[in-house]
Amino acid sequence: MVEVLSLLGHGFAVAATPENLLFCLFGALIGTLIGVLPGLGPVATISLLLPATFALEPVTAIIMLSGIFYGAQYGGSTTAILVNIPGESTSVVTAIDGYKLAQAGRAGDALAIAAIGSFLAGVFGSIVVAFAGPSLARLAREFQSPDYFSLMVLGLIAAIVLAKGSVFRAVAMIFLGLLLGMIGMDVNTGASRMTFGLIELSDGISFVAIALGLFGIAEVIQNLEGSLARIVNRSKIERIWPSWDVLKSARGAVMRGTLLGTVFGFLPGGGATVASFSAYALEKRLAKDPSRFGHGAIEGVAGPEAANNSAAQTSFVPLLTMGLPTSATMALMIGALTMHGIAPGPMVITRQPELFWGLIASMFIGNLMLIVINLPMVGLWVRLLAVPYRLLFLIILVISSIGIYSVSNSPFDIYLAIAFGLLGYVLRKLDCEPAPLLMGFILGPMMEENFRRSMIISRGDPLVFFQRPFSLTLILISVVLLVTVALPAIKRKREEVFSEEE
Amino acid sequence: MKVAAGFILGASLVLSPALARAEWPEKPITLVVPYAAGGYTDAVGRITARFMETALKQTVVVENRAGGGGIVGSDLVSKSKPDGYTLCMCSVGAISIAPIAQKTEYDPVKSFSPISIVSTIPQTVIVNPSLPIKSMDELVTYAREHPGELNFGSSGAGGLMFFSVALFQSLTNTEMVHVPFGGGAPATAAVVAGEVDLSFTNMTDALPQMEANNVRALAVTSAERSPFAADLPTVSETVAKGYNVESWNAVMAPAGTPDEIVQKVSSVLQEMAKDKDVVAAMANIGAQTVFTKPEEFSQRIAGEVAQWDKLLTEIGVKK
Repeated sequence: MVEVLSLLGHGFAVAATPENLLFCLFGALIGTLIGVLPGLGPVATISLLLPATFALEPVTAIIMLSGIFYGAQYGGSTTAILVNIPGESTSVVTAIDGYKLAQAGRAGDALAIAAIGSFLAGVFGSIVVAFAGPSLARLAREFQSPDYFSLMVLGLIAAIVLAKGSVFRAVAMIFLGLLLGMIGMDVNTGASRMTFGLIELSDGISFVAIALGLFGIAEVIQNLEGSLARIVNRSKIERIWPSWDVLKSARGAVMRGTLLGTVFGFLPGGGATVASFSAYALEKRLAKDPSRFGHGAIEGVAGPEAANNSAAQTSFVPLLTMGLPTSATMALMIGALTMHGIAPGPMVITRQPELFWGLIASMFIGNLMLIVINLPMVGLWVRLLAVPYRLLFLIILVISSIGIYSVSNSPFDIYLAIAFGLLGYVLRKLDCEPAPLLMGFILGPMMEENFRRSMIISRGDPLVFFQRPFSLTLILISVVLLVTVALPAIKRKREEVFSEEE
Repeated sequence: MKVAAGFILGASLVLSPALARAEWPEKPITLVVPYAAGGYTDAVGRITARFMETALKQTVVVENRAGGGGIVGSDLVSKSKPDGYTLCMCSVGAISIAPIAQKTEYDPVKSFSPISIVSTIPQTVIVNPSLPIKSMDELVTYAREHPGELNFGSSGAGGLMFFSVALFQSLTNTEMVHVPFGGGAPATAAVVAGEVDLSFTNMTDALPQMEANNVRALAVTSAERSPFAADLPTVSETVAKGYNVESWNAVMAPAGTPDEIVQKVSSVLQEMAKDKDVVAAMANIGAQTVFTKPEEFSQRIAGEVAQWDKLLTEIGVKK
C-alpha cells in the first residue's frame, strides 16, 4: 500500500514534467477530436502518429498515445449523443439512449453524465491498474482457450439479448457477422477461405472498413435520403451541469459500469467494446422499467460510458504485465514500445518503473484534462458538428477514406467500406441492426480460434469446456441469459418493449 | 571563414541538381514494409530508412503495405518499376516460404534483385518449466517416448514458427501436436501459462519470459549461437546437425534494377552494418545487424527455398 503510493508519487514526478504534460494534453485533444469525428478511430490515428513518436522519449510517446486512446472514449460519446453516429465502436450503445435524450432536449444531461461517468471510471480504472495490476494479470493469466471460447459465447449471447427488434433478425445478423469474420486465412491450415483469389482479403476483411461502412457511410446515406435537417441537433444545450436528480439516477449505473469495464478491460479479447455492450444489457436488466431504454434512459448512457473508459485504462494491465495485447490499439502500443527498445512483458514494472508508474500517473492527469476539454468546452466540439451537413458529410467521407487508406495504404479497403456502406443501408431498411453483425465479426474469429485450439489440446473432447471453472461459469451465465430471452413471458414483454418504440 | 565556406557550400548545392541529373537517387525513395506499422519488420525498416536517408542525402519514405503475411507488399514491389525508387524491406516468410506453401504471383528468385540482409533474429526453443525437460536431448527423448503428446504453439500454419518445428520433427523423427495461435506473442504466452508445452519463439518475444524465469530456454535455431543468449547451444550442435532456421529482414529491389543502383545501396548497407547507433538500435529490438553481398544473398534464398520445398513436399502442405 505505502509502497504503491510512493511508486505512484514517483510516477507523478515523471508525468508532471512540462514535456510529458504537454504531450498528455496533446494526446487528450487529438483523442477527443478523433473521437468526435466518426470514421477516424484511435487505431488509425495511433498508427498514423506512430512514426512521429520515434523522436520522443518512450514514456512521453506512450503517454501521448494512450491519451489518444482514452480521449477517444470521451469524444466518441459526443457524436453518439448529438448526431447518433458513434464516433467509436465503444460508443455504439451510447447512441441508443443518448441520441433520444438529445432529441428530447436533454443533450446537456447526456453529455455531462457521459463525461462525468467516464472521468470517475477512468480514475477508478487507473487506481485499479496501480494497485491490483500485477494480481489482476495473474488471474487473467489463468485463462486458457476454453475460457476464452466461453467468454466469446457470452459476448455473442449478450449481443442477441441487446439487439433491438426481433431476436430472429439479431441472430441472423450475428451469423452474417460470423460468416464475414471467417473470410481470410485459416490459422490451422493456412488455407484461404472465401477470398475469391483476392490477395487483399487474405487477412480477412479490414475491421476499419466494415465498421466505417456499416455505421459511418450507411448513416450518411440514410440521412441524405430524408431532409438534411433531420440529424442536425437543433435543441440548444441549455446547461451542461446536470441537475441533482439526474446525477442521482445515474449514480448506480456509473458505479456498475465502472466495475464491469474494469473487469472486461483486463480480459484479453473482452475490451472496451464488449464492456460497453454488456453494461448496457446489465442496466436494462436491472431497471425497474426497462421500457425506458431506447427512449432516453440516462442509465443507458452512464453505464456504457463508464464501462468503456474503465476498460480502456485496465486493458493496459495485460499489455504491461504480460506483454499480451488485447486489442488492435494495444498491439500498436506494443509496437510503440518495441520501437523504443522496450519489450513489453513481466519485467516492465521492475525494469522500467518510470514507464509503468509514469503512464498510470498520466492517466489521472489525462482524465482530469479530458473532463475539462469535454465538459466546459463541449460547445466547441459541438460547433464542429454545427458545420453545415452537406459539408460535414463530405468531411466525414473524406476523413473516413483517409483513415481507411492509412491503415493499410490500400485503396481496396475504401471500396470495401463503400460496399459495406450500401449493405448497412439495405440492412437498416430491413430493420436489421448492424451492431450484432459487428459483434459476430469481431468475436467470431477469436471464438473459432479458441474453440479449435481447445479441441486440439483436449484431443477432441468437448467436455473440456465444462471442466474448467471459469469456462463452466461463463457457459452457465450464457445459458441463463438465453433461457431468459426465450421464455414466452419475457419474449412477449420484450416484443412489447421494442414495438413501443416504433 | 565559416561564412565563406557556407556560401560556397550553398552555391554548390544550387548548382548540383544539373550535375546530379543522371545520378540515382534524384527523388525520394519508397521503402515498402509489407507489415503493419509498429511491428518488428516496421522497426527494422525505419532504422534502415533513417540510415539510408543520411547516407544517400535523399528522403526515404517508409510505406506500410500489410497483408497476407507480407505477400501483399512483396508482390507490390516485385511489380514496381525497377528504377531503384521502390525498394522492399522483405522478410524470410514472404520470400522463402510463402511462394512454396501458398500461391504467390512472384517467384522468390526471379522476381527480385536481392540487395542485402540487414538483420537476423533466431528463434529460441522454450518449454514450460513444469516439464521434466532440461535440454534438447531430453526434449527429443521425451517426444519419442510420448509420441503425439507434446503440444507446440505457433503463430499459425503459414508462419516460420510452424515450419521451424515441422523441420525439426522431420530431422529428429519426433511427432508433436500443432496448436496454432493468432501470433507469436500469444503463442509464447501460452507456453508461460502451460497451455502448450513448447514453442520455437522469436528471440524478441522469448527474452523477457526467459529473464522472468517463466519459461525454460533450451537452444537457439540459428547456425551459430546468439550474442543475446550466448550460453544457449544451437539446435544444430545438439540434436539436429545442419538445422538452421533464422528470421531475416532484407532490402530487395524489383528484378531488373540496374546494377549500379544495387551496388550503391549495397555499399550503403555495408556501412550501415558497421554503424554503432544502428547496431544498438537493432539490438534493442532483439535483432543482430548483418550485411550480405547481393550474390551471397541470392544463393541463400535459393538454398532456403530448396530446404522448405523439400520439407513441405514431405509433410504435404505444398500448394
